[in-house]
Amino acid sequence: MTPFEVKDCALLVRMSGLSPAANLRELRERIAVCSENVLFHHYCETTLRTTFDNPDYRNDFAVWAKLYLGDRVLAERLGILDPYAFRSLEELRAVTLEVIDERLGEALMVPWARPGDEFFFMEATTVVFDAGFRIAQPSRLGAFIRKMTNGSVYFHFLEARRRPPFGVDDFTAWLMENEETNRPYIRALSSVDFYFHSLPHLRRELARVLAEAKGPK
Amino acid sequence: MSAPLSAYEGIVGSAVIRQLRQLGEKLAGTRIVHVNSTREGGGVAEILEWMTPLMAELGLQASWEVVHGTGRFFEITKSIHNGLQGHHVPISGKDWKLYEDVIAGNFQRLRPVLEEADIVVAHDPQPAYLLKLCERRKGKWIWRAHIDISRPFHPVWKVIRSIAGAYDASIFSMAEFAQTLPHPQFLVPPSIDPLSEKNRDLDPSEIEAVRGEFGLDPSRPLLVQISRFDRFKDPVGVIEAYRMVRKVAPVQLVLAGGGATDDPEGKAVLDDVMEAAGGDPDIHVLLLPPDSHRTVNALQRLADVIVQKSTREGFGLTVTEGMWKGKPVVGGDVGGIRLQVVNHHTGFLVNTPEGAAHRIRYLLHHRDRITGMGKVAREFVREHFLLTRHLREYLTLMLVIARGGRERLIEV
Repeated sequence: MTPFEVKDCALLVRMSGLSPAANLRELRERIAVCSENVLFHHYCETTLRTTFDNPDYRNDFAVWAKLYLGDRVLAERLGILDPYAFRSLEELRAVTLEVIDERLGEALMVPWARPGDEFFFMEATTVVFDAGFRIAQPSRLGAFIRKMTNGSVYFHFLEARRRPPFGVDDFTAWLMENEETNRPYIRALSSVDFYFHSLPHLRRELARVLAEAKGPK
Repeated sequence: MSAPLSAYEGIVGSAVIRQLRQLGEKLAGTRIVHVNSTREGGGVAEILEWMTPLMAELGLQASWEVVHGTGRFFEITKSIHNGLQGHHVPISGKDWKLYEDVIAGNFQRLRPVLEEADIVVAHDPQPAYLLKLCERRKGKWIWRAHIDISRPFHPVWKVIRSIAGAYDASIFSMAEFAQTLPHPQFLVPPSIDPLSEKNRDLDPSEIEAVRGEFGLDPSRPLLVQISRFDRFKDPVGVIEAYRMVRKVAPVQLVLAGGGATDDPEGKAVLDDVMEAAGGDPDIHVLLLPPDSHRTVNALQRLADVIVQKSTREGFGLTVTEGMWKGKPVVGGDVGGIRLQVVNHHTGFLVNTPEGAAHRIRYLLHHRDRITGMGKVAREFVREHFLLTRHLREYLTLMLVIARGGRERLIEV
């Protein structure tokens, strides 16, 4: 097998230039026209972004619906959307708009946020660089993951799913080079319900399932 | 003097330090100049005190310059500062002219370093006008706004916008603080240095010595607010809250803050605070010299509850500091405090002295919550709000600015 080249990444967030949304209708209008980068940021990059909270939901739209619109029904419907389950961000956008439209149809009045609690549309640039080490043996993957930064875990296990081969993380793609032999590790990685973990938790979980797959020394 | 990067390994882990070194390698030799208006006092000076040497350690040619000015100049820049935060402060044409003249004088002194820099970061409005004067600049200029300018006093913002808008990019601490400007606006929350005198672990005997020095009673709960004597920090509101708690619990209050050379308003606020304290022996109003970092550190560690009842706030680094010491924070529901304090999780957000009193009483009656929230708060700070994360974002920003464009992913 070719050695696995470990990358690292760092996120830099910026304002998207879209006006903030003060109510659900404005949120819908902006989501309909925002760039895919904005959508990707609010759905996928939240784990890598600086935060003081460990919110109930992994995407910003659901968190905003709960905390600032006070609409728990909408929050639950948006919160369960797994962005990595959609083949494209356009599909994700369409489903998001559908959920919001459904809620607007149910609501007697348009839910709104008080001044200062608007939804701010952001996007980010991820700078990727060589982390400076290689993994030669699949049996060592878990031990290496345990020492990786949040950036490496994010780039190889989450961000990778939006790159070809679609929906596959980098570790699995590497292990597939020798699928027969590496099947226990591949299965272990696929068992992780990754979307709902913070990155430190995800790192621990990946290391744990790989250690179990490796079996006792 | 800040510690070398290796000293942070024990706190954030070796992977984080390795990551910084790798980013630093990509920027080796880059000449970056930070400019602000004071070497001591206030959060900006504290950030630059560690950031400049750590950038240099990573191989960048980093320097820190300060604009000098007269008392009148700092009165005007304080008014600009307040105006940007929404205070209605009239600034005359004559005052703006004086502001420009003082910056022009500084420019003559700083000209060579500014013209040659690859990146100049002007912190807050005070040095912002330097850009207009530096016609032969070679590098990218970034305006770093540390304060909340989301609802500025328009006449002041109009002038500052014409200056800041000419920069290549700006940095805000959070989206809620930003104003629309005709260039990329990046978001970088500030951070604290866990090894600084203000945040490092202290020997218990030193903490007890501070308790003794200020006559604090070890048998009674202590509330501590650390901040400049500034109206937006609402020290008088804290005294009101203390009096409400005092009716049912034998608390003590410390209001401690330093003066800064760019803050002439502090004296008037301090006078108001002394009057409100009315000679109560359990209200300790401490005007500390700018280098009292260890004293502040000890006071935060002595606190049962940290209070930061601001009515306007930038990020509110004193909140982060309190949380790093494992304390819950009762903070004003404004600015960066909203980002840091999560109700029932790391403390409580409040809007009034009554609200502050209510939450303080709750905490004093639930000592286990004080411990639990404090633990959560410390871990959040470790993960997101230490200087290593802040430094990484500045390095990333420099790489992004050099590349230009708005790509989602760039490989360096």
